[in-house]
Amino acid sequence: MDSESNDMENNSSVDIERKIERIIYQAALALDKNNWADWFKLCDDSFFYAITSFSPEISKDMTYFSGDKKELTGLMEMLPKHNTDHSPLHRHTSVYTIDVSEDGKTAEAVSSVVIYQNMLDGINSHLDSGESRLFVIGKYHDKFVIDGGEPKFVNRETKIDNRRLDKGSHWPL
Amino acid sequence: MPPRNHKNWLKVPKIEHISSECYNNHSIYEQEIEHIFAKVWVPMCHFSEMSNDGDYRSTQIAHQNVVAVNIKGNVKVFLCPSIDRPAGNGLDTAGLKELHSEVKHGGMVWTTLDPNPTQSVEEWTCGAFDCIADAIDAEDMEVFHYHKAVIDTNYKLWHDTNSEFYHDFMHYFNRVSGFNDEYFARKNIPFDNGHVNVSSFTVNYEEYDGFEDRGELSFPNLPPNQWYMVDLFPGFNFNLRGSAYRSDTVTPLGPNKVLIEFRGYGLKKDTPEERQTRIKHHNSIWGPFGRNLHEDLIGVAGQGTTMREGTEARNILHGRHENSTIHDEVGMRHYYEAWGKFLGVSPANPLGLATDDVIAAE
Repeated sequence: MDSESNDMENNSSVDIERKIERIIYQAALALDKNNWADWFKLCDDSFFYAITSFSPEISKDMTYFSGDKKELTGLMEMLPKHNTDHSPLHRHTSVYTIDVSEDGKTAEAVSSVVIYQNMLDGINSHLDSGESRLFVIGKYHDKFVIDGGEPKFVNRETKIDNRRLDKGSHWPL
Repeated sequence: MPPRNHKNWLKVPKIEHISSECYNNHSIYEQEIEHIFAKVWVPMCHFSEMSNDGDYRSTQIAHQNVVAVNIKGNVKVFLCPSIDRPAGNGLDTAGLKELHSEVKHGGMVWTTLDPNPTQSVEEWTCGAFDCIADAIDAEDMEVFHYHKAVIDTNYKLWHDTNSEFYHDFMHYFNRVSGFNDEYFARKNIPFDNGHVNVSSFTVNYEEYDGFEDRGELSFPNLPPNQWYMVDLFPGFNFNLRGSAYRSDTVTPLGPNKVLIEFRGYGLKKDTPEERQTRIKHHNSIWGPFGRNLHEDLIGVAGQGTTMREGTEARNILHGRHENSTIHDEVGMRHYYEAWGKFLGVSPANPLGLATDDVIAAE
């Protein structure tokens, strides 16, 4: 391979990595806005989502929430019928690693995520509203399919360190 | 009936009731720790959390650190002032004071701080588990879920939520999957020592958009899609919904703060596919991101806010008599009768205010 081809390949790889980084941040913005439709647009039809944690208390890997794209879409559509704490969540995400497969068709990324909850209602709004609290910490373990140079999520495991979740949430993290 | 003014609002109701002081008074909280939590049998963890020789699991009961240890397959429980981890292996128990303990009712590890308990666990629970015994005792169970919540509310408000069922109206899921004749005919059945269980009915999971019938997987000897509940005094709940079993354990942290530990269980012999199904079913309703638990916790947090210390005392009515069916408050009345006996107080006037201080009903 000559140096020009090498440069092109490196540029292409860098380009894909930037696109993956961008899509992770786009997902964070969509999720922060509870804009589930925009989030799902970033996901392949085969997308599967899970919130997991390890419990030293019971010595078990646990799944707290999971679903495919169809299930998630249905659950989010049902939310207006439920009583939900509407305190907004803010995801601070830093992409740590991106690994693109040799054939350039798939990729994996690991990002750190810290989620703050800006209190709005649900407990004592007179006292609490406007205060931000640390909600959960963890990592996004993402997998992508790359088609035509464009990455889409096929899997996200939100692996949180928390086992104390207080009121919990109806929302994906 | 004209709207009640403030004076009418504070009058002693002519039906069964308790005072909100039961939920927010520090002196009562201290009495509860001393006279209830330091005396009763507490389901502190499950055997499957400590199934290997040397495994230990710690908790706190009535402000005292307690540890359960697997010693060659037998569980022993000790007071352990210096325990600093929730679980582990290889704890030196030399010199620790042993507590009474039993493994009972589906593999729960029970202990009591009472050095001379007058009842065994079987005698203490008084038959409250009989309705689910064939399901939870036929096979070894295994914990697959653990999480906890610290909520600014009184521990009894959480137990109340598991005892009264009219809060089901808050759950869209329950409204569509359960509100039928069979649901409204469920019976609250009181047992000695303040325990209650709630008879079953068939839940129609498929009525919730996106959910499917869950009859494919159940527990031994349990017909598909059934839902039983055992409310154990003073704040422990056992919930069997067809394919998944859940327990709640409360640790009061103050008159208006409680730690609730949630566990989910399947059968030890589950295939990987069966376990995944149980976990998914459990999480969809009871997980920290599930449909109902989040709503329940919002509800009790709101109750805790309105009844926190310093708020004006009010009367909580327990007057529904509906042939012990699902929204009859017989379970609440039964619980608070036992609670009053433990503390030697009337739940309607737990601070023992002089009668002059209590406004009489007309």
